Amino acid sequence: MAAIVFDDFSYAYDGTTKALDGIRLEVAKGSFTVVAGPSGAGKTTLCLAACGAVPHYFGGSMAGAVRVAGVDTAAGSMGDIAAHVGTVLEDYESQLVTMTVAEEVAFTLENRGMKHETIARRIGEVLAQVGLAGLEDREVGALSGGQKQRLAIAAVLATRPGILVLDEPASALDPEGAEELYALLAGLNRETGMALLVVEHDLARVLAYADQMVVLAGGRVACQGRPEDVLPAMWRQPGLAAMVPPLWQIKLGLEEKLDESFAAWRNEEEAAAELGGFIAARRRGGEKSA
Amino acid sequence: MRRTAPLTKLAVVLLVSLWAMLLESAAALGAVAGLLLALFAASRVPAGSYKALGGLGLFALALAAMQYALGAEAEFSLVVGLRMATMTGLFILLLATTRVQDLTAALARQLRVPYEYAFMVTASLRFIPDLLTEIKAVQEAQACRGYAGGGSVTRRLKNYLTIVQPLVLRSVARSETMAMSMELRGFGTGRAGSYGTSIALGGRDYLALAALAAGTAGVVAARFYM
Repeated sequence: MAAIVFDDFSYAYDGTTKALDGIRLEVAKGSFTVVAGPSGAGKTTLCLAACGAVPHYFGGSMAGAVRVAGVDTAAGSMGDIAAHVGTVLEDYESQLVTMTVAEEVAFTLENRGMKHETIARRIGEVLAQVGLAGLEDREVGALSGGQKQRLAIAAVLATRPGILVLDEPASALDPEGAEELYALLAGLNRETGMALLVVEHDLARVLAYADQMVVLAGGRVACQGRPEDVLPAMWRQPGLAAMVPPLWQIKLGLEEKLDESFAAWRNEEEAAAELGGFIAARRRGGEKSA
Repeated sequence: MRRTAPLTKLAVVLLVSLWAMLLESAAALGAVAGLLLALFAASRVPAGSYKALGGLGLFALALAAMQYALGAEAEFSLVVGLRMATMTGLFILLLATTRVQDLTAALARQLRVPYEYAFMVTASLRFIPDLLTEIKAVQEAQACRGYAGGGSVTRRLKNYLTIVQPLVLRSVARSETMAMSMELRGFGTGRAGSYGTSIALGGRDYLALAALAAGTAGVVAARFYM
């Protein structure tokens, strides 16, 4: 069973203009799915639909269905869906509602009526998972942007959801912070088997981790699948080509010019190794023919 | 104060504020302010709270001095400064010693305030420091675009609108996000939350409430019947 299924799902906030239109998408259990697309493509609405805020919080009109862990989100409440889906919104600072780090994690668990001993144990566990161990009594206002982001993640991880939805989690972070955050998320994905649905406009940041990419345009799925299938499809579409990571722009450009086919590069090291071998082979070929 | 139930602390804030409003003698208000300082010392509050308290003290002094400079009696000027300092200091103590969610739980469960309103009250307390930061950010942003705070009172008020408008819009957007994220974390779902042990009244709370009631009766009697 897939973690999240969008079954021909359409949604309009005001009842007329569709923010999402006929979305058919499956997020597999344990997958690292990245959603990209131009502004206004419906990325945030997709996240909100996965956690049930659409339609429960925003109202509007919808067609089709979103199923989380096999359950129709329109049938359950946001609280019920939250047992399966942890959500970190783009404005993560507004998600932090308590004074200290430990209280922030405890808040989610207290809402679920957990025992105090369990809460104390879970606080220690999730803060260690996100690298905030030892900061239990630190005031939330005294944390850096990256630490606040990690705290927002810890607060939703505390209930051990099977799915984590993050809307542009690195938008307010510096490049190092973004890199650390995605390494953390990839570790969680790998170690806990948690499915991740992440909105990210800078695909270079997630190239090393994503196993599924979904590109939205005008509320519809423009392309979806494995990165090695989606990135060339984006490259061929004028409106989406600029979103292809620079590394893949080089790869696809070289493939066009040289009429060659390179492997699906996940990082610069893989690219350098293959290109080094390719150049050496070319030189050897040139010397032989000379 | 940390081991005192949130409901008792709310009662302390409200009733001692009432004392501050009813008392008209600088000596009596000074005694109340002294009691507040003793509570701060006994509560082992974070260093930041003492900083806030220090700022509050300076502001109270400035207020009293301004009253005096504008022609008020020395006693009255002191009363105004002490009254403001005491009432604001009580809120600082409440926030420094109470978890926001415990306050919400006390309002919603023990005082039967509808959840939405209880949350609104406590969340606004949590975001006061953030709001101050945002005011500064908006002021700086507007200054880059030529905003100047000086001029006549009318001009200042008119100029201040350029600060207030974006601030209100940002606050509304933020409160919307916050409300949604709270629901996503299971708040207000009707489940029995595990607040019981942290908000339940104990023996020391009943003693404190009795002392507060007696103190309030004494202050009311002194104000209206003596």
